[in-house]
Amino acid sequence: MRLATLTGKDNYFEDFVPGAMMRHARGKTVEAIENVILTNLVMNTAQAHFNEHAMKNNRCGRRLTFGGVTLALIIGLAAQDTAENALAELALDKIRFSHPVFHGDTLYAFTEVLAVGPSDREDAGIVHFRHWGVNQDEKIVFEGERRVLIKRRSHWADR
Amino acid sequence: MPEFVSRAVLKPKGNRYEDFEIGRRFDHHWGRTINHGDNSFFTTVTLHFNPLYTNAEFARAHGHPDVVVNPMLVFTTVFGLTVEDLSEGGGAFLGVEELRFDAPVYPGDTLTARSTVAERRESSSNKNMGIVTWHTEGFNQNGERVIEFKRTNLVNKRSAA
Repeated sequence: MRLATLTGKDNYFEDFVPGAMMRHARGKTVEAIENVILTNLVMNTAQAHFNEHAMKNNRCGRRLTFGGVTLALIIGLAAQDTAENALAELALDKIRFSHPVFHGDTLYAFTEVLAVGPSDREDAGIVHFRHWGVNQDEKIVFEGERRVLIKRRSHWADR
Repeated sequence: MPEFVSRAVLKPKGNRYEDFEIGRRFDHHWGRTINHGDNSFFTTVTLHFNPLYTNAEFARAHGHPDVVVNPMLVFTTVFGLTVEDLSEGGGAFLGVEELRFDAPVYPGDTLTARSTVAERRESSSNKNMGIVTWHTEGFNQNGERVIEFKRTNLVNKRSAA
């Protein structure tokens, strides 16, 4: 198997420049498949995410999307551009959920490259990103920072 | 109303602000063995396109024994196992700090979770709520820590219920 043919050619460590700002190509509409099934899959027992009847009497009036699902979707939407050539996810920090997400909302992801640096292995470096998730009205629903170990083209592009 | 409904006693779930003394430890319920289907489903539904999570041959060529479990599934599963003890009593999920992935997880691994109350304070804007931060750790079946993070929520007070 030629590994390098299976992933992109423009998202190796050398391609990330501090200050670069990316708008990721695809959005995703959140529905029960995203919120309810993933909430249940990971055994999050909070029924605010899966009991529409109980939530009718709540201030929100409907089911809320689990923040963990919002986070996974925003990082997922950013993943092809920021993790397709990743060897490992290292860390997340400063995660904030600033606006609720409801079924029917469509989420989009944006990413800024904050910093790049060496790692303890010569074939990969560490990229520090800031991500934002926005809904269809450009309200920020998620922000957070992430550190990823990404392959260097110099060591991986011919493998 | 059916007769049995009027006789039934609610089996309540979840804790309240008053239950979270600083330093209190929770060994959370259930545990979760992550299987291939969990990982494929989660990774594809979240559009997380790194073949380490979806292509076993690719993952093996990178030194792994099998596909790697998507770290966001590790995070949300460990989080999920904590919810009844920590946040099911109500209150918004505000944020996460200092999350570290310590070791890869593979299909067949069993995750368990443990948390300690790290900080708490009253809400300045709502007398009925407090703000609590927990330090949560997730472990595999060998007792190796695979993830840790700090999570902060608004938490209802019992007095407000």
